[in-house]
Amino acid sequence: MIRLENVTKIYGTETVAVRDASFDIPKSQFVFLVGPSGSGKSTLLRLINRQEQPERGDVWVAGRNINELPASRVPHLRRSMGNVFQDYKLLLNKTVFENVAFALEVIGKPRHVIARQVPIVLDLVGLADKQDRFPNQLSGGEQQRVSIARAFVNRPLIMLADEPTGNLDPTTSEGIMGLLDEINQTGTTVVMATHDHRVVNAMRRRVIQLDRGVILRDQERGVYE
Amino acid sequence: MFSRIAYALRETWESFRRNLTLTAAAVLTSAVSLLLVGSTFLIQRAFENLLVQWRGDVEMIVFVRSDASAEQVALIDSVLRASPTIIDIEKLRYLNKTESYEEAKRIFAGDPVTLGLLTPESIPTQFKVVPLSEDPLLVRSLSDQYRTLPGVEAVALAEDEFEVISTLSNFIRVVTLVTSLVLLLVAVGLIWNTIRTAMFARRREIEVMKLVGATNWFIRIPFMLEGLLQGLIGGIVSCGGLWVLNSAWTSGVTGFKPGTGISSLVVPDSYLTSVMFILLGIGAFVGAIGSAIAATRFLDV
Repeated sequence: MIRLENVTKIYGTETVAVRDASFDIPKSQFVFLVGPSGSGKSTLLRLINRQEQPERGDVWVAGRNINELPASRVPHLRRSMGNVFQDYKLLLNKTVFENVAFALEVIGKPRHVIARQVPIVLDLVGLADKQDRFPNQLSGGEQQRVSIARAFVNRPLIMLADEPTGNLDPTTSEGIMGLLDEINQTGTTVVMATHDHRVVNAMRRRVIQLDRGVILRDQERGVYE
Repeated sequence: MFSRIAYALRETWESFRRNLTLTAAAVLTSAVSLLLVGSTFLIQRAFENLLVQWRGDVEMIVFVRSDASAEQVALIDSVLRASPTIIDIEKLRYLNKTESYEEAKRIFAGDPVTLGLLTPESIPTQFKVVPLSEDPLLVRSLSDQYRTLPGVEAVALAEDEFEVISTLSNFIRVVTLVTSLVLLLVAVGLIWNTIRTAMFARRREIEVMKLVGATNWFIRIPFMLEGLLQGLIGGIVSCGGLWVLNSAWTSGVTGFKPGTGISSLVVPDSYLTSVMFILLGIGAFVGAIGSAIAATRFLDV
């Protein structure tokens, strides 16, 4: 589903964010990208959804070399991916329902599709009863659930999560990981960048460890170390 | 499709409301500059009315009495043609009664009293003379000679009547045109800035839109519509202003004594209407340009 071939990403002229990275993530796999801040985890995610383009190497998503994709096709690539962030990136002037609906609205989905899909996904993340609240009226964990609902509402092939539990306490994090696991069970490939030991060790999934842009370890059913 | 249009319109309106002060500034600036553009058109047209008889380097007009016989007209014509070194024979033109009356309708547009005295029968016909000679004294002596010919009613010289006005009109045209162009540029800049501010205020939304795969056009169009609307509203306001100005001018001019040249400075309503359409067009164009530049430039937030 996602394949990197000798990818190198350099910011500016000196800063090498990712150096000669290669890996292959099959469909419906759950993968952790681990490593300290600045090790290149976020850059890898940004390379996969083409927010960045590599200086060298190729990134393949769903059988297509996305670096050769014309700019006009990038939106369509992004529609096959959901993004979740540490800071949720919710729109504070919109309700829970509107935040999730927004993701469908701006890609031109008709109103009846929105009216059908949004409640289903809000039910999945357990927020069916809070759809009219605003983000500021929710806890951090609930806000992250909204953001997962928004990322998942268009049924993406891939879910990219950048430190989704970074701002949450252990119990809440567990809930969020349960949700991501559930989404993974539906066949969605999940790539999650994190430096949260507990989460990684509890899940026992594939772990790709990075340090200063270099892949140190790629292990099935790994732990954080 | 419908939901996309509804989305764009809703977003445009929302953004419009949110940035009311900046929007008002952009709208007013474009209105003022467009008003000036419109005034330039009208002033130009008014002067043209005044100068219509002198178009194409005509510097002398020999008016022929309306009751002159065909022989008399032929005589005048042959006398004129007898000085090929002083008069440009190629450009010598004779306006018959119908043509002269058409011209008079424009000259006396704002002076219905004088126009009412004229009929296609009673109007003098005229020879339009383009001199080859640069020497004004030579042309003047020639005109004295023509004045004595049978059937000639009068001989008018551009020098006496409209030289000053034509110089003045050129000067005014340059000044108003340059000023209005500068103001139009300011309007583009202000609209650009308004749109930039609007996009900055909504950078989070734009970021989310890009991440979930909204196309750049989808994101851009509400902002471009907003700019276009600002320009268009500016255009509408300027049309109102132009109408008020023109009405005041027209009613002021009718107070003048009939027969004075000033009355020809009135512009017909049909011309005013087409100028208004031009202003609306320029307004929309200015808005679209300003916002298109901003929307393209600042999409990467």
